[in-house]
Amino acid sequence: MWAVARRPRWIAALLLCLAIAGGFAALGQWQLERSFESAAPRTEETEVAVPLDDVSTPQTPVPESAIGQQVTASGDFVSGDYVVLSERINLAAPGYWVVGHAVTSDGASLAVALGWAATEDAAADAVRSLDASAPDGALTGRYLPTESPAESDFESGVRSTMAVPELINLWAQAPDGVYGGYLILDSAPAGLELIDAPEPVTEIGLNLLNVFYAIEWVVFAGFAIFLWYRLVRDAWELENEPKTEPVE
Amino acid sequence: MPIGPRPEDAPKIRRTIAVYKVSSIITGTFLLLLVVMMVTRYGFGVDIELNPVYGLQLTPKELITGVNLSTAILIAHGWLYVLYLGTDFVLWRQIRWSFGKFLFIALGGIIPLLSFFLERRVPRDALAAIAPLEKVAA
Repeated sequence: MWAVARRPRWIAALLLCLAIAGGFAALGQWQLERSFESAAPRTEETEVAVPLDDVSTPQTPVPESAIGQQVTASGDFVSGDYVVLSERINLAAPGYWVVGHAVTSDGASLAVALGWAATEDAAADAVRSLDASAPDGALTGRYLPTESPAESDFESGVRSTMAVPELINLWAQAPDGVYGGYLILDSAPAGLELIDAPEPVTEIGLNLLNVFYAIEWVVFAGFAIFLWYRLVRDAWELENEPKTEPVE
Repeated sequence: MPIGPRPEDAPKIRRTIAVYKVSSIITGTFLLLLVVMMVTRYGFGVDIELNPVYGLQLTPKELITGVNLSTAILIAHGWLYVLYLGTDFVLWRQIRWSFGKFLFIALGGIIPLLSFFLERRVPRDALAAIAPLEKVAA
C-alpha cells in the first residue's frame, strides 16, 4: 500500500490534506481565542472618557461595549424635572438618588444621576437648590444601561429603579429622543454625595460554545489526514483486490 | 474510478441509506430555517424570538428577553450538518464511491433545497450500486 502512497500524485494529495488540516487547526485556535475573548476584561477602555455619542445613540439600546464606559456629554438640566429615587444603596448605606433630566445640544434627553443623599429631606433640599441654579452643562461620568421599571408604591414616595422609560413619563418636558442609558455624574453638586460607580467587574469565564467548535475543528483536521489515508488505500485496493463482476 | 461495494456489505448499506434519508431531510429543513434566519438577521436586523409571554416574534438581537431561536437554529444546523457529514461518510465508505461523490453529497447541507433532491437521488444510486450484489447473493 505504501508504494501507492509514495507516488507523486498521492504525495501531492498528502500535502494538500496537511494544508487543509493546518487551516482547520488554525480555525480551531481562532475559536479557542474567541472563547476567552468573549469574556475578556476591557478595563482600560472603560476608564478613558469618550464622547457619549461615540458609544451610544438616542432611541437605540445601549450596546454591550458601552456599558460602564466613562463618557463626556454636554447638556442643560431642565428645572422641575428632578426625580428622587428611594432605596438606593451607596457604599452599603441605603439612601436617595437625585436624578436630573439633561438635554444635549442635539436636543436628545439623557437621564443623569447627580448624587446621593442619606435622607429624603436632604435629597429634597438638593432638588430645591438645583432648581434654583442648575449645575453647568459639562457632564462626565459612567454610562450605564437603564434599569427595568418595577412596580412600586410611588404614591408614598417609593420609587427605587433607575428606569429611563419610567422617568420619561415623569419629566414635564416631553423628550425629543432619549438615550437608552443613564449617566452617573463623577462630581456631585453641593448637598449631595458622590455616587459610588466602580469599574465594571470583569467577568472571567469561558464561552463553551466556542470551546466545542475548537474541538470540532481539531477533529476535522484529524479527519482530513485520515481521508488521505483512506483514499490511498482505496487506490491500492482498486489495484490489488479482485473485482466483483456485476452480473447482467 | 470507484471500486464498488463489497457483497457482504449490502444489508449494512440498506440500513445506512435509511439513516441517510432521515438525516438529509432534517438537515435540509434546518438549512431552510437557516436561510429564513439569515434573511431576518442580516436583511432586516431582527432575530426570531420565542417569548414566554408573547410567543413567536421578531426582535432586534440586543432586546431579546426570551429564547433566541435564530441563534438556536444556527447552532442546531451546525451540529446536524456534522451528523449529515457522518452519514455521508459512512455511506461513501460502504459503497466505495469516488471522492467526488462524497464532496457532492456533502454539498447537500450547504446549498438550500439540494438535500431534498439528494434525498431521492442518493438512495437510488446506492440501491443501484448494491442491486447486482444482492442478485449474486440470492
